[in-house]
Amino acid sequence: MEFVNPEGLRLDGRRPMEMRQLRAEIGAVARADGSAVFEMGNTKVIAAVYGPREVQNKSQLSNDQALVRCEYTMANFSTGDRKRKPKGDRRSTEISLVIRQTMEACILTHLMPRSQIDIYVQVLQADGGTRSACINAATLALADAGIPMRDLVTSCSAGYLNSTPLLDLNYLEDSAGGPDVTVGFLPKLDKVTLLQMDAKLPVDIVENVMQLAIEGCKAIATYIREVLLENTKQLEYRRGL
Amino acid sequence: MPEEGEKEEMVTPGEVLGKAADLKAGKGAYVAPYRSSEIPYVFSSLTGLRHTLTPPSDSPDQRPTVEVIGHKARGAVPEAGSVVIARVTKVMAKTASADIMCVGTKSVREKFTGVIRQQDVRATEIDKVDMHLSFRPGDIVRAVVLSLGDARAYYLSTAKNELGVVSANSTAGETMVPISWMEMQCPLTRQIEQRKVAKVGS
Repeated sequence: MEFVNPEGLRLDGRRPMEMRQLRAEIGAVARADGSAVFEMGNTKVIAAVYGPREVQNKSQLSNDQALVRCEYTMANFSTGDRKRKPKGDRRSTEISLVIRQTMEACILTHLMPRSQIDIYVQVLQADGGTRSACINAATLALADAGIPMRDLVTSCSAGYLNSTPLLDLNYLEDSAGGPDVTVGFLPKLDKVTLLQMDAKLPVDIVENVMQLAIEGCKAIATYIREVLLENTKQLEYRRGL
Repeated sequence: MPEEGEKEEMVTPGEVLGKAADLKAGKGAYVAPYRSSEIPYVFSSLTGLRHTLTPPSDSPDQRPTVEVIGHKARGAVPEAGSVVIARVTKVMAKTASADIMCVGTKSVREKFTGVIRQQDVRATEIDKVDMHLSFRPGDIVRAVVLSLGDARAYYLSTAKNELGVVSANSTAGETMVPISWMEMQCPLTRQIEQRKVAKVGS
């Protein structure tokens, strides 16, 4: 199947280095300490953060840092066919772990000992890149909750089909059987915190694809920063400052 | 609104606030080496407005402190030495349990449990204290936090003149009036009940 046609356009009309349209909204869940909705094209996820609050399971209490818990679920209606078990299956457990480790490395946990931070991410609509969208939504929700972080973690995926590195794969391109590289990046500190890949990729191409994903992360970081500043300005304005 | 000609800038997590050699990191900021170089810089850890505080003139370190004030109001947390308002929940032979409701002037978002031990009720004759003649369940007390305590509760103390029961209801249900540091009287039934009363007023 042709994923990049001779004119250089992908299945959805994008160029190989073009990302899908981003949209973010802060404060969607009023009851949570922080929340955000993040859309990358047709993929839509919602994240809610509770914390820092008292640890519920005393056996996991840590005296020198906060406990970070994360739960990734997919809504029954998120994919084409109705899902039977939205959480507890292997993929959800793996992605929960990945998101938890990524966010934990970035949160300044030593500032909140003996407490717990819960991150709940749910996919409302899945069209490829759900992992990345979840990490971006979690970053926004954590920033909205006022939890101190080293930097904004952003994530983007990239692949390699028809001998072309492609940025931000959608579901069709993802299920084509080619490699899918997901990168988690700290833009201001210029550090990679997450690197995952499935399928196989020649060694000389890996660097290119990873760099492409990093560029995507930087673009997302710029957008997230704008959204955060705009949201804070609105709050300050409403408070009359 | 900027005050005193200070330009307040809005920052997001990860933004550079300045060099660690020029600035001290306050709340909402942290120090880390800039990218691959060894030079330490001050970065922001929250989303909010950045403020620069001038150092006191007598301190040896004359660097101004930069802090970032976030927009989310976080609930107060009791610290050792802070004055708290608590409601007594349980009175036992040697201890009284209380729910901490306010820390200083701010109310808390989720309640914290505090415990007042027999030896911390007052400053004199501490072994002759009768807990039931000092507190009753439902009393509002002003106490000072001694320490973070154990996993279950903070340790509180009322061993000062201005600490102790601030407001209490009598068995008849009326709010009592304090008559001495040991007694409170019900205005309806004229019954006198014993409490460790706080000295309110100048």
